[in-house]
Amino acid sequence: MRTWMLFVALVLIGVGRRADAYPQWQLSREMTCTGCHVSPDGAGLLTENGTAVASAVAWKDFGAEFAYGKVPTPSWLQLGGDLRGAAGFVDPGYASGNGYPMQAELSARVATHGFSVFANGGFRQPSERAGNLHVLWSREHYLMWEQKPGEGQGLFVRVGRLSPTFGLRLAEHVAYTQDHGGRPLYDEEYAASISFVKHEFEVHGSGFVHDPYGTPNEKGDGGALYAEVRVGTHAAAGLEGKYTKSDEDTRMFGGITGKLYLPGPDVVLLGEAELIQQKLAVGGDKANKIAAYVLGSRPLPHGLMLDVGVGHYTQDTRVKGLYRDCIDVNVHWFADTHFELLWTNRLELLGDGGPNGGYSLAQLHVRL
Amino acid sequence: MAKLKLFCVASVLGALVGCGTEPDSRPVTFEVVSLEVLAPSCGQVSCHSTSTWTQGLAFDTLDASRESLRDIANTGVNNNPLLDVIAGRNDYDRMPPDVPMADLDVDLLTRWIAAGRPGL
Repeated sequence: MRTWMLFVALVLIGVGRRADAYPQWQLSREMTCTGCHVSPDGAGLLTENGTAVASAVAWKDFGAEFAYGKVPTPSWLQLGGDLRGAAGFVDPGYASGNGYPMQAELSARVATHGFSVFANGGFRQPSERAGNLHVLWSREHYLMWEQKPGEGQGLFVRVGRLSPTFGLRLAEHVAYTQDHGGRPLYDEEYAASISFVKHEFEVHGSGFVHDPYGTPNEKGDGGALYAEVRVGTHAAAGLEGKYTKSDEDTRMFGGITGKLYLPGPDVVLLGEAELIQQKLAVGGDKANKIAAYVLGSRPLPHGLMLDVGVGHYTQDTRVKGLYRDCIDVNVHWFADTHFELLWTNRLELLGDGGPNGGYSLAQLHVRL
Repeated sequence: MAKLKLFCVASVLGALVGCGTEPDSRPVTFEVVSLEVLAPSCGQVSCHSTSTWTQGLAFDTLDASRESLRDIANTGVNNNPLLDVIAGRNDYDRMPPDVPMADLDVDLLTRWIAAGRPGL
């Protein structure tokens, strides 16, 4: 029993992972991320419409507000939080069990007259070389001004520690275009970001410097751009670019995104392809990489959603066979407006004949 | 016309996937094995990074990688703890634990160690 409780505690007091939105619902439910999220990046706290969508997609609707509405807050204050953990089997050539504490965070937003302050805070994975306080951190904290408060359109300006808006922004960070592309886990930096969002198009530009104390995944300084044009009401196409320079290397990312909703079969197709160049500061070696990911997603009855994804990653175009492909199958169950159970599976195939890998994990997500 | 477009797309993708040379032309240097192989495979932020130092190892910066490699790659090719764990041999559980490192990367690290670990 104590072992089980320890496991649960580890799951809940674990390493934070970003709670991104589901772009699967962008064209099938809303035209923009800001239709459901208060951040123009499309993550975290929901708008009033976002809570309505959460109610609509869940199997059971007991109220999508914070803590089922049992903790009333004034109109200028919004609270939220996320708990995530996963466990199951991984296979790097042999099968073994594994567990992944993922996220335990609270977030709060104070807003008035178009200005808002957002901050989240929680736990991250302990360091074997740091004190106990190292486990506490805030991934994001920023000041935002929005031109048309509550409308989800217009100009948004953010300054603070945040994730520069870039690319498809899938919830699953393991997608090759996330992990190897320009939006890895913990890419939050100190940034100034400007977004302009309309139903017809959106543009996001960010300049950033790395956090020297927060040990983030992104260690460089630079800028990111993302622009997306809606084609009719069921399709969108995007362009992305990012430049980052650190003491150790310079990396450039350029790519395209595509989104297509097929109302007949109720299927959303999302795709992203990136060319990446990494140039080392010492020695000047230059490696070109390719990352691509295509995801098809379809809602099913009883709060279920099926994803099938296919990915490709060329680690270095100079080396024949140095690539990997993956097939992902995810089944989401939005049991109610606050509980999501995800069964995520990957088969990964190496291009050089090395051992294939993969995993089959169950992930629990509680949105407070 | 549609078939032509499909052919063009397939040709481009095929060329991209199949490109590269044989044998591996990457420089066998400390910087290349650290930043192009170990950092993306092992130095993810929740794994062996300077954020966690899991098992006392980190590979996400050159300084951390140098320190870690001095610990686990300080022997020759035979019975080298780094090579044993990334190749899953000599009773070591293969790492990374979810997706294996490419054999070409294991080979590059082997050649770097066989060359006397230049730059370490």
